[in-house]
Amino acid sequence: MKAALVAIATILALLLQNRISIFGIPPALTLVIVYLLGIRLGALKGMLAGALIGAVEDSAAGGILGPALLSKGVVGFSASFASGGLFRWTPVLGVIAVALFTVLDGLTVFVARFLYETPPAPLSRVVVVLVVQGIMNAAAGPFIRPPHAE
Amino acid sequence: MSLRRFLPLFLLILISFTIMTYQSNKGITAPLGFIGKPLDRVNALVHSISSAVREPFRKMLIRESELRRLREENGRLLALQEKYRELVSENERLREILLLRERERRYVAAARVVSKGWDRWANTIIIDKGVRDGVAKDMAVITPLGLVGKVVVAGDRSSQVLLITDLNFSASVKVQETRQEAIYSGTGNDGSLKYISREDPISEGSVVVTSGFDGLFPAEVPVGYVSRATNRSSDIFQDVVVRPFQDLTRLDEVAVVKR
Repeated sequence: MKAALVAIATILALLLQNRISIFGIPPALTLVIVYLLGIRLGALKGMLAGALIGAVEDSAAGGILGPALLSKGVVGFSASFASGGLFRWTPVLGVIAVALFTVLDGLTVFVARFLYETPPAPLSRVVVVLVVQGIMNAAAGPFIRPPHAE
Repeated sequence: MSLRRFLPLFLLILISFTIMTYQSNKGITAPLGFIGKPLDRVNALVHSISSAVREPFRKMLIRESELRRLREENGRLLALQEKYRELVSENERLREILLLRERERRYVAAARVVSKGWDRWANTIIIDKGVRDGVAKDMAVITPLGLVGKVVVAGDRSSQVLLITDLNFSASVKVQETRQEAIYSGTGNDGSLKYISREDPISEGSVVVTSGFDGLFPAEVPVGYVSRATNRSSDIFQDVVVRPFQDLTRLDEVAVVKR
């Protein structure tokens, strides 16, 4: 049941981030889902779920399989540290964490594509996109709490 | 924190790079490629639903902006139409002045009325021709419809004209049908005929023209028509009101003629 919900949420996120944008930059909604899974399920499960979602994203994009698989897997793994493994969760931490993971995700994909395909965009554009996406995703930070958070 | 905890992450990184290296050499593998088609179908369905919802609003917005554009265009065209009407009217007036010029041997210059005169009590106008254009004091000012006045001040490039309705204006005239001579005087709004005897018949509508006897105005220039003629028992002369042919509130172009 939960897996079905995650699958539906992922598809909706993929469809939605195709349709909405601010200043021409779409949000990275799948990253928010991976962060949520990472913070709730823990490091290993979060990593696996993230890798799967990343693989779906790579397949939908039609490019090589791997960049989003790697980036989402890393985010899913690392998100568990924001849930109390390393830091005590607070809404401010949540905001910072989501923003940072968005940038990390984008950078990982950019580097992977740069190494194995063609660069997806000029570096200056990448910086702008990541900053804006980080700000957009950061809005979800206070609302994605670990299970034990007050 | 033991390194064993990070083992899954290292494995993920290793596997990812292996997959990517393999694909960069052998070409793209798409083990999850079967996801693409249903995803595209769902995407197309969502797109058609959102388009169907958006379309009426989009059309409404287009109609709204089109309506606004048409209104602006309409306003612009109406203004243009008004301008053209004005030009056609001016063209007509200038053509009449031109005919007058060809007809009138004493023609001096055609002039535009610039403004009312400086004297707020007198009925005067300013025209845009003066001494440099051949205009001189006491020259008659006329239009195709009739007498307008006479030049009282001739400047270098402009002149002041005393209108026939002014109290200080007078001219020697005659009634066209009966050839009765009289003196036309301005009354402020219209004019009056002086020295028409009670016995001399004069009817409303009779045309009054200049006689030329005063040496100021050319003869046979239309002045106006008799709008009222009354006999008072106490007077030996009739009280005759003359309405000028030319509407002096609507003067644009005039012609100046010699005496």
